[in-house]
Amino acid sequence: MRRVAVIGVGVTKFGKHDRTSAELFAQAAADAILDADIAPTSIQALYFGNVTGGETERQLHMAPLAATLLGLPTIPTTRFENACATSHVAFRHAVMEIASGVSDVVLVGGAERVLNVPTESATEFFAYCSDASLEQPAGLTFPGVFALVARAHMDKYGTTEEQMAHVAVKNHRHGTLNPKAQFQKEISLETVLKSAYVADPLKLFDCCPFTDGGAALVLASEEVARKHRKPIWVLGSHAATDTMFVHEKRDLSRVTATERAAQGAYRQAGKTPADVDVVELHDCFTIAEIVATEGLGFFEPGTGGLAAEKGWTSLGGKLPVNPSGGLKAKGHPIGATGAAQIAEIVTQLRGEAGKRQVEGASTGLTHTLGGNTATVLVSLFGRD
Amino acid sequence: MTERVIHLKDFFEEARAGRLTGIRCGHCGALAIPPKELCEQCHQRQWQPVPLEGAGTVVSFTVIRVAPRGRSAEVPYAVAVVRLTEGVSLLGRVVDIPFDALKAGLPVRFRPIELDGRTAIGFGPA
Repeated sequence: MRRVAVIGVGVTKFGKHDRTSAELFAQAAADAILDADIAPTSIQALYFGNVTGGETERQLHMAPLAATLLGLPTIPTTRFENACATSHVAFRHAVMEIASGVSDVVLVGGAERVLNVPTESATEFFAYCSDASLEQPAGLTFPGVFALVARAHMDKYGTTEEQMAHVAVKNHRHGTLNPKAQFQKEISLETVLKSAYVADPLKLFDCCPFTDGGAALVLASEEVARKHRKPIWVLGSHAATDTMFVHEKRDLSRVTATERAAQGAYRQAGKTPADVDVVELHDCFTIAEIVATEGLGFFEPGTGGLAAEKGWTSLGGKLPVNPSGGLKAKGHPIGATGAAQIAEIVTQLRGEAGKRQVEGASTGLTHTLGGNTATVLVSLFGRD
Repeated sequence: MTERVIHLKDFFEEARAGRLTGIRCGHCGALAIPPKELCEQCHQRQWQPVPLEGAGTVVSFTVIRVAPRGRSAEVPYAVAVVRLTEGVSLLGRVVDIPFDALKAGLPVRFRPIELDGRTAIGFGPA
């Protein structure tokens, strides 16, 4: 298999937009192509992610539309949908297209637009990512899924609502350093703890927001990447799946797909958790960050809450987690998130992250989770 | 056996009549909630339907206060994962149990409920 590098990144401002998902992606993609400094005609395929376009914009067949709006209407395109892990799945497939020798340059990413519909509609559409026969009729929502995880983690390990609140405070603090973040304002522990319950024990400030945005990456083979300024190498990318049914999870306090995806990615990369300098992980809810830091092997099971409380995951801490502000403060346009996380790690490894730069970072990890903890992708990145 | 022995439609028709149905693998004995084609444990296709008693205990629960579109009249409501005495778990709506009485280990019992125009799995007091 050939080595693959990320040579260009583009991310729109996250927040509310008047542009369509396809427009948002095209904007991010044009930025990524400029960043890569390659001829647009060298792009041989588009791997595009979007989740709710059929519901929120009455727009399907969005991949060729995105290519058309970008100005590359004849490249082959594919649309991916794996809930919130969508564009990380697209990324892994784009990597495989280059690694296998089929193509030398592939554009990958995604976009989402949900702030054009009411919150309760967005809540409904996101709930479509859970099972429609057993789970949706009972009224299970996404905050509800992670509330079940949070309760199990609290019961098993004594994790507290205050420890979860520390994750929110930290990620909002990081968000103040990211000009593209949806929220760029610090919040206090008290603000989180006094916010209203959405799904007990998760409160409003334990939850990431609804977000519009797009993100794109230009991937290239080693031969092409060597001609460019700072190629960031894909060291490993692994996907893992777990049962869709919440009732079939063997242990609700864990996300076993995270553990398996991480093991696969570390093995491919020849790295261990101790080698990782900076992480962008899937903090759709504060408890999700705590459980992910355990599943990725950074902290022992049950100690992720303590790590948040002690500041070990803050910029300047032992292992900075979500320097971008994470899904919590940067925002979570679900079809774009995986690519946006990778864009942040590429920026960090290039040493171009400005005020939120993790000094000397040479190995980075991204983790993206989709749906009822059913789809998880973990990728590792390194520089020359 | 060449065909799934119980489909979603059958599962919910039985549930509506108050009968909770599982499927047991005729090869390895694993118990599951339908529908399934292959046994997750031994990957054989030898399911037989088995009645489930409907008794179980709460594994984890949440009280949902922001509902999907069209269902805001239902909030607040509790949802729980319940481990049934036969060893399989099932997610359902909690009914007739005060929120502050909910905890892991609480005994509950299956009952069918109608929600949003559909039959859903409910759990009430044991």
